[in-house]
Amino acid sequence: MRALIAAELLKLRSTRSAWIPLAAALAAAVIAVIAITTDAGHSGNPPLSPAALPDLLRSSGGQLVDGALLLAWIVLSAGEFRHRTSVTTFLGQPRRLRVVSAKLAAAALTGAAVGLLAEALSAATSAAVLSAHHVPLHWAQPGVPGAVITVPLLAALYGVLGASLGLLLRNTAAALGLALMWAFVVEGILSVLIHVPGVVRWLPQAAANAVLHGASATTLPAGVALAVLAGYAVVLATGGALVTTRREIGTATG
Amino acid sequence: MSTIALEALTKRYGTITAVNDLTFRLAPGRITGFLGPNGAGKSTTIRVLLGLARPTSGRATIGGRPYAELRDPLRQVGALLDPNVFHPGRSGRMALRIAARPARIPGQRVEEALDLTGLTSAAHRHVGGYSLGMRQRLALAAALLGDPQTLVLDEPASGLDPEGVAWLRGLLRGLADQGRTIFVSSHQLAELAQTADDVVIINQGRLIAAGPMAGLLERSQASSLEDLFLGATSPHTQAAHPGFTRPRSLS
Repeated sequence: MRALIAAELLKLRSTRSAWIPLAAALAAAVIAVIAITTDAGHSGNPPLSPAALPDLLRSSGGQLVDGALLLAWIVLSAGEFRHRTSVTTFLGQPRRLRVVSAKLAAAALTGAAVGLLAEALSAATSAAVLSAHHVPLHWAQPGVPGAVITVPLLAALYGVLGASLGLLLRNTAAALGLALMWAFVVEGILSVLIHVPGVVRWLPQAAANAVLHGASATTLPAGVALAVLAGYAVVLATGGALVTTRREIGTATG
Repeated sequence: MSTIALEALTKRYGTITAVNDLTFRLAPGRITGFLGPNGAGKSTTIRVLLGLARPTSGRATIGGRPYAELRDPLRQVGALLDPNVFHPGRSGRMALRIAARPARIPGQRVEEALDLTGLTSAAHRHVGGYSLGMRQRLALAAALLGDPQTLVLDEPASGLDPEGVAWLRGLLRGLADQGRTIFVSSHQLAELAQTADDVVIINQGRLIAAGPMAGLLERSQASSLEDLFLGATSPHTQAAHPGFTRPRSLS
């Protein structure tokens, strides 16, 4: 299994369209901290204070990193069928569930690593900016450990969601289109149509927001929201595994 | 010795029977040509043999086991199905390194495979910039990575220049002489006539003829492999050639 995971990581490293979004998300993590701290005290934003640290850590390494992980692993897993590298992959390991497991494990590992790196970058940037403004750094304050844990966890889940969606649909454009439509259109429309916060909060993005920004009156508790997202990942991964084990490899669509 | 064996192999897609009750066994140390008109079921047979498609009934085994149950399949079987199975944005070397990783094949062997197929100088270039012949050589390099006892090659000479075809002929002969089982599907009958020891001919998914090429030519009174093939696959001439029996084993 370790060799299979290593092969998947090698595919990531050698696929520009997969690692560029990850690098961009890491750069954005730094830029987000600078933008937020620059705006502090202006346009009605609260001035910089020690209490700003948890929010800086969450927002900088949050949705951009998750989106980048989703994109990268859709490109990698669906791309296997687009470029027909699936033939080489399944000749090397014909036990297909092992390949699926390796992809999911590599996606989760990448997510956790990129999430941690984003946190480290945003922490370093936050420390530099806050210190420059003579704001004391309270690393042990409530919210900081939570951000350090939830951002990599969420990123790992989004990596798994991307790999699973790619395996399920086997079509890069369709998987990317579905993910973008869901994120920017479908969940928004559903929220308006359903109008019932008790239902809307169970949707993936609402759950991700609850994990990232903490629970509120209209969201699920963070722990439950994390479990809901994990549930979505399990459902998609099961679908991806079923499609991969049942369908043929090396045809025009596979 | 690793052998390829098909036992009553049938593959159906809905109402279409792509492979119909196919039975034959290949001999190690020999090159077997796999012939049939377009749509005869050759590629389907190969994909079932390599575990990429499931048989409707029957068995296809290599060394007595289905491909999916082989331990370290890359070290036992080398397969070339299509030259277009590499990511165009990766270098040739990286494509082979990725293919080698699941079987823990060392980087040294990747370099040997590149050298063997004449791709060392182009190994750093993106596969998207390779000619068809270069992609074919890369696919062959991937098949040779594990130094396997069995080679399954679908149209390996496609896209190769005359020098490349001659090189491939020598390579396959050398590998067969080492006792390896070589199974080559091809439409290039003149080339196959120079390469193959045995032939298996199928049409509409059914076995038409199988056996040592010299014996089949003699029995069917064909003057060449092309004559044999055309005779074997034509419904009008089949009955006139008593040589087209259905031997179950080439061993």
